[in-house]
Amino acid sequence: MATTTEHVSLSTEKPKSLPWYLLDLPKYLKGFGLLAVIYISLRLYQGAFAIEHGLDSSEPAFEQYWMRLFYIELAVLAAVVSGFWGYLWTTRDRNLDQLAPKEEIRRYFTLTMWISIYTFAVYWAGSYFAEQDNSWHQVAIRDTPFTANHIIEFYFNFPLYVILGGCAWLYARTRLPLYAKGISLPLTLAVFGPFMILVSVGFNEWGHTFWFREEFFAAPIHWGFVIGVWFALGVGGILLQGVTRLIELMEKIEDAE
Amino acid sequence: MSAQIPISTFKPYRGEKARLARAYDYLILVLALFLFIGSFHLHFALTVGDWDFWVDWKDRQWWPLVTPLIGITFPAAVQAVLWDKFRLPLGATLCVAALLLGTWVTRVFAYHYWNFFPINMVLPATMVPGALVLDTLLMLTNSLTITSIFGGGAFALLFYPTNWPIFGMFHQAVDYHNSQLSVADVFGFQYIRTGMPEYLRIIERGTLRTYGQYATPLSAFCSALLCSLMYPLWWKIGKLFADTRYLKRI
Repeated sequence: MATTTEHVSLSTEKPKSLPWYLLDLPKYLKGFGLLAVIYISLRLYQGAFAIEHGLDSSEPAFEQYWMRLFYIELAVLAAVVSGFWGYLWTTRDRNLDQLAPKEEIRRYFTLTMWISIYTFAVYWAGSYFAEQDNSWHQVAIRDTPFTANHIIEFYFNFPLYVILGGCAWLYARTRLPLYAKGISLPLTLAVFGPFMILVSVGFNEWGHTFWFREEFFAAPIHWGFVIGVWFALGVGGILLQGVTRLIELMEKIEDAE
Repeated sequence: MSAQIPISTFKPYRGEKARLARAYDYLILVLALFLFIGSFHLHFALTVGDWDFWVDWKDRQWWPLVTPLIGITFPAAVQAVLWDKFRLPLGATLCVAALLLGTWVTRVFAYHYWNFFPINMVLPATMVPGALVLDTLLMLTNSLTITSIFGGGAFALLFYPTNWPIFGMFHQAVDYHNSQLSVADVFGFQYIRTGMPEYLRIIERGTLRTYGQYATPLSAFCSALLCSLMYPLWWKIGKLFADTRYLKRI
């Protein structure tokens, strides 16, 4: 194929780089993609093996297909929590008093991306797999707290969003001056409140030892989850804190075309 | 210590600052979408979900009463921030649209494709018309009192008539083994739910049935009264959570 002047000019053009405040955008999009692949894969695994091997927890196949998945999840979660929280803590900024306004703005964008990844995990845990629990327990008799949906919802999705919320909290605490000087009340509410949903699993499963046949979703044994999720409304306060600080920081930087 | 927005800085940005602000808006939009699907859906499913999951639970007494009552909670809390702080008249519609999106995805992939319930058996109800009225009233009146009384009331009263085009056909009477049932009841008998014994499934109580056609309007007006009270309560809860303080210790 002949090379034309049009091709030459195209090939010598510099690749368009992201603006300075969106440097972490590729990592954010990859995080979204990775989470989506994990959750969809888990759903496909349920579709493939839940009916066949997930109805009776006393069968050897249940141990092979479902309890093994549970142990793998625990190992993955342990690696993720120690890796992410350890990285965020050990690479903390020790000179926050010298932070330039542009860098602080960039970090507010990155914090927003962390919270967004957290809310994406909240979606899968609080919306899709949570209501799927009702669907599954209307076709299978629950004979164990480790059902084919609980192994994914309670013991993977819940801890994972707690870990990701903790990442957002740690990122703010270790890299942004206002969050380092004081503990943000709304960010703490938005992370620690939904954490209590994980704790409520104990109350919920205790209740189900009494009424294993009834799958009434509005039952009081589920209300611990409900109160925990109200704390997600703390995101409104995080937004107000972020916008307020961004307005101040924008005053300190020069505008560019 | 709490955050204060300096009023003198409210001027339109240009150039890079405008692009930066717009990029932040888009990030917040994505964040808010998944936040409200996840949180509102969990809150809704675990309080009034049973009425929303199943067509034979959509009765005349409880469904028009409890669904708007729980449905108005997050919209009120989110309006308290989005309208009061950002002058965005879309808090209720955002929450309800997010909820509807979350429920539809789940009904299709978790109920229909995984466990083979017919999609007509698990159609979600809509609260979008009530949410639009709630947002519009708040925008036009800028009054918590008027929106509580008339917006909260409208949210409840609109619920049953706006869902009737979706669910009315399932109220068609049928003869089933010499008993008169509705099409919705037949769904319940044909698709056995292992965790739903009869004393849960038949949720209408006998006494109000003597009121005949008045059962639904009575439930709707009762819900309107309760929604008028629930709305300001959740507005305050929304304010409470949207605190901007930084603490010395927790």
